[in-house]
Amino acid sequence: MIAALAFVASGCAAAAQTAPPAGEPAAPIIQVLPNGLTLIVQDHRAADIVAVYLWVATGVRYEKPDGLGYAHFQEHMLFKGTDKFGPGYIDRTVEGQGGRANAFTSFDYTTFQILVPSDGTRTALGLLDDMAFRSIFDPKEIDAERQVIFEEAHIETDNPKSAIVRQLYGLVFSGHPYGRPVLGTPETMNAATQAKLKGFNVQYYTPENMVLVVVGPVDARAVRAMVDQNFGKHPKTGYVPPPVPPLAPIRGMVRKTVERPEQQAHLVLGWQAPSLSDPDSFALDLVATILGGSESARLQKNLRDGERIVSGISVTNSSMRLSGIAYVQAQLEAGDVEKAERRILEEIARLQQEGPTEDERQLAVTKAESEHAFAYETTDGVASAYGLVQLTGKLDDELRYLERLRGVTREQIRAAARKYLPVTSYARIAFVPGKSK
Amino acid sequence: MTGRVFALAAVLLFLAPAAASAQTGGVTRTRLPNGLTVLVRENPAAPVVAYSLMLKMGTRTETSDIAGISNLLQQMLVRGTEKLDGEQIAEAADRMGGSIDAYGDADYSEMTATALSRNWQEMLELIGDCALRPTLPDGTVQAVRDFLVRQIRNRGDKPFDAASDRMRAALFGSNPYAWDPLGRRESVEKLTREALLAYYRRYYAPGQMVLAVSGDVKTAEVILQIQRIFGAVPGATVAGPAVPAPPAMAATREVAVVPGAQAQIFVAALAPALTHPDHPPLKVLTALLGGGMASRFFSELRDQQALAYTTLAQYPSRVDTSAFVSIVGTAPENVPKAERALSQQLERIRTQQASEKEVAVARAYVLGSQAMDRRTNARQAWYLAFYELAGLGYEFLDRYAADVKKVTPADVQRVAQKYLGVLRTVIVQPN
Repeated sequence: MIAALAFVASGCAAAAQTAPPAGEPAAPIIQVLPNGLTLIVQDHRAADIVAVYLWVATGVRYEKPDGLGYAHFQEHMLFKGTDKFGPGYIDRTVEGQGGRANAFTSFDYTTFQILVPSDGTRTALGLLDDMAFRSIFDPKEIDAERQVIFEEAHIETDNPKSAIVRQLYGLVFSGHPYGRPVLGTPETMNAATQAKLKGFNVQYYTPENMVLVVVGPVDARAVRAMVDQNFGKHPKTGYVPPPVPPLAPIRGMVRKTVERPEQQAHLVLGWQAPSLSDPDSFALDLVATILGGSESARLQKNLRDGERIVSGISVTNSSMRLSGIAYVQAQLEAGDVEKAERRILEEIARLQQEGPTEDERQLAVTKAESEHAFAYETTDGVASAYGLVQLTGKLDDELRYLERLRGVTREQIRAAARKYLPVTSYARIAFVPGKSK
Repeated sequence: MTGRVFALAAVLLFLAPAAASAQTGGVTRTRLPNGLTVLVRENPAAPVVAYSLMLKMGTRTETSDIAGISNLLQQMLVRGTEKLDGEQIAEAADRMGGSIDAYGDADYSEMTATALSRNWQEMLELIGDCALRPTLPDGTVQAVRDFLVRQIRNRGDKPFDAASDRMRAALFGSNPYAWDPLGRRESVEKLTREALLAYYRRYYAPGQMVLAVSGDVKTAEVILQIQRIFGAVPGATVAGPAVPAPPAMAATREVAVVPGAQAQIFVAALAPALTHPDHPPLKVLTALLGGGMASRFFSELRDQQALAYTTLAQYPSRVDTSAFVSIVGTAPENVPKAERALSQQLERIRTQQASEKEVAVARAYVLGSQAMDRRTNARQAWYLAFYELAGLGYEFLDRYAADVKKVTPADVQRVAQKYLGVLRTVIVQPN
């Protein structure tokens, strides 16, 4: 393994190697192929399972207003046939090897994820290459898949916990691509054609816009040789990312109450937060953990276990490439909605005034250390972490995350709570029992 | 610290004969004199450890009037001990970079805990404290009970859960698999601290328990500490209540209204226990019809007919008669079409033999699921404990894998004809 670390492949435009943080296994080997594709390989020997993940810097953020939902629609279509294989071939091949294939689209990226026993690595790379570059977008398949996506939207509507967060993004990022629906709108989806979806694919699925992550009991040199046979063969296209759209801040209060058929009520309060590359995101991660990121956090202890005005509560700080979102989410009884909102704000204000205790700061760092350790148990956990951070920040941030987190002071935590969670300016949505949906 | 560990290891040499140990495939099995079975799997891949303390207590040991008691008791165990209150338990687990939780299931109840491996011993102490010295504080019993009653209510609001509960009730009648581990509202509302204590005393016996450990730990050290913490508990044998058999299968169809955007169609039949020879072929059949994305339901109902986003088949591994359940979630206007399509699928698997190629993919899917699902230490510990508790030993998984590999297209058709001839249907849809 040590020898492999020193290895720099021929034809490599750039190769970087980051020293592993203390107590951790081998560092990933990062290479940029001549055509601009980034390849990250990590040796990981917990099980004979390789994670082969393709990340593409596309997603909702890149969609035009009349093409909402295309990144996601296009993602679905890559499973529906290429010039070599018919629909279903990918799933049959992967599952026939005992593996799993899946894909996700978010604001900054689309990812295709294959998990296979390690002797299936070459097959997995070949399938992903085929999907990305040779999908045919058969109009008949497009019509069928559109209905599947409409059903996907129904599922989301039926799940209040995810529906309320989706709506919150719309308020917090009003007028910005992060506020758009990932699944598109019925109008844009109905207007999607073979030419439009294929056009989206050709524009964004270029080598220089891709990151391949391979994690498992693999040899980096062997993986590179395999990648040279497929992804490595596509020429550069000269792709230039589109300009970054501006983001308007939330001014004052944005409030919305929605009547739903469920008897349980739901509440979210949300704020714009720093992007992943902003150093403030570390301090805000700790704010989220101290307020409501663990079983013994302030909101859990006081609102859930002490006053019992919520049955579940959590605080999330989600950092993306251009910005971030921090939100408090609670499940509760309808009669407690007003009181819970007031108490959440009081707890935030208290943190802003007094800051955390040293004990709380340490607990929050331990929590992050633990999440990190558990994510690194599996090859897919590592592949997700690397890909996500490569697409939304810098891999170095991920590798040095804990070190940076440990350096955040109590005063910095207090300052982040003040700066990012103003109690007089936020977006708030409540789902309360009622008739309609 | 190092010195202390060495001293403990030396003591273990003298204690070892008291406990029967055996090691297979990287797992060490030890039976303490009081009957507790301990399984330890060393896994140095990440600096973490997972524990599963499992016991023969669950819906199978419940009767209708106390439905949900196993789960409520489990929830209470991590909410107060002689030393710590609920808040202190949560904080202790957070401090170890881990978590501790407990719940009841159909065949078993589990206390599950994780920690950074440097805190493995502290977590073991905490598990011992919660499992052996719970206080079930009265005010907390009431709060947790209220919380669970609301969860039961919320299940009725979710189309998928509502359909699932109705199907379970239809299939199992007076058999305890008829209710969700959360229990029934009417029974949970009446559960008292005294009832919980009596239930606890009856079932928390070492001979009925397995403690499985997986992670970056040293087997000898872990076993020694487990002996110290759990070894003093007196052994006892308990018998669960007599379990009534589920009613004979009959073709039934039930339609209910639950508001939502989607309708849910469930079509199901009783299916054999995990020890039955038909279990492996029926698992392969389940994968072939509704396992992964290569399955017939996914490729035909979703990809070709676009009738669903979610469509799957389930066949849970149970120690007693279980169920095969096929599921389609679809738009309300598509219900008649989707119901017909699902019924055609179930007809076809009985009347036409699948190709060897298709069965091979399904076999690989079943085997792959096992490997994929055991990637984390927590799942490893769960698998070790579950099969041991079922009386099969964790080695069962190897035999099971060998049996799955032998399943032929003829086997699949045979079990389809045997089990899927008479079916119950439950449809939940908006107005």
